[in-house]
Amino acid sequence: MLKVVNSAIPVACWSCSVKQDEAKLFCPSCSKIQPPPGADYYAVFGLEPKLNLDVAELETEFHRLSRKLHPDRFARASEHEKDWSLADTALLNDAYRALKDPIKRTEYLLQLSGAQIGEQNSGKDRRDPSRAPADLLEEVFDLNMQLEEMRMARASGESDPNLEKSLSEAKAKFEGLLNEVDTDLRTQWTAWDSGEESAQAAAQKSMIALLDRRRYLRNLVRDVTEVLGD
Amino acid sequence: MAYSDKVVDHYNNPRNVGTLDKSLQEVGTGLVGAPECGDVMRLQIKVNPETQVIEEAKFKTFGCGSAIASSSLATEWIQGRTVEDALAIKNTDIVKELSLPPVKIHCSVLAEDAIRAAIGDWKKKNGVAETAPAATAEAK
Repeated sequence: MLKVVNSAIPVACWSCSVKQDEAKLFCPSCSKIQPPPGADYYAVFGLEPKLNLDVAELETEFHRLSRKLHPDRFARASEHEKDWSLADTALLNDAYRALKDPIKRTEYLLQLSGAQIGEQNSGKDRRDPSRAPADLLEEVFDLNMQLEEMRMARASGESDPNLEKSLSEAKAKFEGLLNEVDTDLRTQWTAWDSGEESAQAAAQKSMIALLDRRRYLRNLVRDVTEVLGD
Repeated sequence: MAYSDKVVDHYNNPRNVGTLDKSLQEVGTGLVGAPECGDVMRLQIKVNPETQVIEEAKFKTFGCGSAIASSSLATEWIQGRTVEDALAIKNTDIVKELSLPPVKIHCSVLAEDAIRAAIGDWKKKNGVAETAPAATAEAK
């Protein structure tokens, strides 16, 4: 899913031969379209790799570049340029999708910086107790019991208003916890964006744990929503 | 990925599913979970205070087939053992018995953790000193 290769290799424009330090969608000298730069998603937008990001600005830039890259504009161009307008557009779309969503952006930047997150995790990290939401276990277990009861009641066509009420309350509670995680994540963004090495390392560790917790909570909310059918 | 016959057997006919009264002095309860997959496992033991033999073990697991099979097997194995013998069970024993593939090894780890947690709870309740933690070394 990541297309990060040799972003720093100097390239020359195919048309005007002017060398660039970094591959871009368009040549800064002659403005001709270029093959898809093997750059990271931030570089596609000419952005610094930061987690705090102005999404409105990103959107404006996305629309501007989309228009410039639109295949209709290359109807009379060479075959190469036609192909590149398609390939560049695909890259731009991928980059936009990855960066506009705060969670995807966090995961992407963590991966860029070499962190292993989510399902990629294996081995010794799994036993790190800080990764397990131990504080939630009791509630998660009870919630699962109630979900099972509710599914069984539903299957036999019964309804249990008390159970439904208790599940709705649990759902609200876990949604609240999810919001807390998002707030905590944003705090870590700022620490990360400071660029200071030890702060970044600490923020990275916190964010990986927060993303785990978030995934866990999101699955729970999804299960309850599914059973409640709303 | 196909489950082994033994996993399927434990999944379809889980042994010892249920609950023990956790307020009882002789009952120890272990509750463990894996954050990535959302599995939660509760394992309970009832220990004979004279002989320290686990007379009854019950579990309830919310998770995948391998997690259910691992905890089912764990209850089968610890019944009739003394608590010290039960602590000797390693997750690798479970992996071997159930032929778990590498991606499911964490299910066996969870089951081992659940045994330890239940025994730990029972020891705490009954004022039994924890044994040297040498046995808890990684075995994967």
